[in-house]
Amino acid sequence: MDAVTGKQTQIRKTQTRFSLRPLPHPVRQALSLLVVFILLALIWEGVKWIGGDMWRPESNPFGISHDPPFRFKIASDLNLPHLWDIFEAFGNASRRNGPPLIAVLFDASVFTFREAVVGFLLGGLLGFILGTLFAHVTLLNRGCMPYVVASQTIPILAIAPMVVIWLKAGWVSVAVIAAYLTFFPVTINTLRGLRSPDPTALEMMRAYAASRWDVMWKLRFPAALPYIFTALKISATASIVGAIIGELPSGIRGGLGGAILNFNSYYISGPSRLWATIIASAVVGIAFYLLVTAVEAYILRNRQVAGDAGKL
Amino acid sequence: MIEDLQTAVVRLDDVDKVFNQGTGNETVALKNIDLDVRPGEFVSIIGPSGCGKSTLLRLVGDLVQPTQGEVLVNGKPARQARLDQDYGIVFQAPVLFEWRSIINNVQLPLELRGVKKAQRTARARELLGMVELSGFEQHYPWQLSGGMQQRASIARALAIQPELLLMDEPFGALDEMTRERMNMELHNIWRRTETTVLFVTHSIAEAVFLSTRILVMSARPGQIMHVVDVDLPVPRGEHTREETAYFEAETEVREWLRKAKGYRA
Repeated sequence: MDAVTGKQTQIRKTQTRFSLRPLPHPVRQALSLLVVFILLALIWEGVKWIGGDMWRPESNPFGISHDPPFRFKIASDLNLPHLWDIFEAFGNASRRNGPPLIAVLFDASVFTFREAVVGFLLGGLLGFILGTLFAHVTLLNRGCMPYVVASQTIPILAIAPMVVIWLKAGWVSVAVIAAYLTFFPVTINTLRGLRSPDPTALEMMRAYAASRWDVMWKLRFPAALPYIFTALKISATASIVGAIIGELPSGIRGGLGGAILNFNSYYISGPSRLWATIIASAVVGIAFYLLVTAVEAYILRNRQVAGDAGKL
Repeated sequence: MIEDLQTAVVRLDDVDKVFNQGTGNETVALKNIDLDVRPGEFVSIIGPSGCGKSTLLRLVGDLVQPTQGEVLVNGKPARQARLDQDYGIVFQAPVLFEWRSIINNVQLPLELRGVKKAQRTARARELLGMVELSGFEQHYPWQLSGGMQQRASIARALAIQPELLLMDEPFGALDEMTRERMNMELHNIWRRTETTVLFVTHSIAEAVFLSTRILVMSARPGQIMHVVDVDLPVPRGEHTREETAYFEAETEVREWLRKAKGYRA
């Protein structure tokens, strides 16, 4: 009894002693993100300062005129647009008299996100079922695992057009392509997680005459959850990539894949729009990742994060 | 030995256990084990490391099967007894599920048996009271000390009101002070529940303090070399450790353990 409450008060004491006003965790997180962002931005613009194209006072927010001493090809305005040009692109219309780019990209993001979520759910479920089967049936594991691994060595770009032909171009085929990129990590980690319980825990379940079903749902599955969530976090971002790639051969125009294809062909006349689309894709991926992380934090809220001798 | 099968809670009849039989690294773990445990007894098994005392316990629990001979629990084959949940078991590690609160860990065997929720919660509360963990129902295992975790594990073993309690070095990982206190608590639980206990240990002091009978085993292949009857009055307490009979029993076990090292039948 004393051990528990004692430890907690001790921790609280140490905190007050060493830092008078500790910043709350989310604030610290946001601050470090901001610092890294500023650093990256400085490097980006620094390269352009040394070896980019001419800085004209009317086209940068600081009104600076500067002739960089070198001309690196990679740092030209076409290859590496100024950051303010990229952010400005969000506000400009993407075509004449059209809505601002940010609205277009928002709609495209929602569109792609929906496809990705369906693919993620399909792939996650398939991955879990395969992992569970492999964990319980050794013969299946030996016979099928090599094919599952082989499926991941085939480039998605080769598979995608075939899926589109089989399922007709549409969001279903895109979701299937996203699922294809999603299921593998889930399979591997489900298998690993279901096998993770301590042998003594399995012995204990046997001693109390637990059925295979009970061993699965009361021991193996809860023990596998942290492993499965690790896989789902990988799959969340992979499913966005899968959905974007899936849109390319499907001829779907409403999503981020369509936008990338579109702005890629008009790159010469406006490179910042493609860059803005890339940023939008990244934001969608990060948002999905954070969503899965939040669900994980909720479901595993009662578990100890750090290792402990008594835990399973 | 007892004639009537029904009165023996545990009965082993000429049991051998050989691991990896027929392969290159065949190991004879146990040889010619005969054992009867009567209701209400507290029997400790002590012996050198690797003598097969844990294997003996696992044979009774049907967690491993004998190569030869018969194991009966409550008069039925060990397998049937396990399926009927005739025994509770405590391991050296508490083996609590980290995703379950303490009360949900304790009621797990009842859940597996299909007992109704209200009933099993009531039973689990009662048991947590008995092992002095009242107020920790909603805590999670990692929030408890090692000794407290092991007490929860004992409560779980008692949840099904077993006639037999199998304990495999349950206090082996605890410090000396906690261990002595746990011994006292286990002794009281044993008296109160009148459960038969089969107890594997490394500690002579612990074996003498708790047991009515101590089986001293030889090094591999494990055989029961000597049986020490402990005639210390019950209830036992701090005073027990100062009695002459206590020292005598301790000495007897120690001498036989010394012989056990080189013992071959």
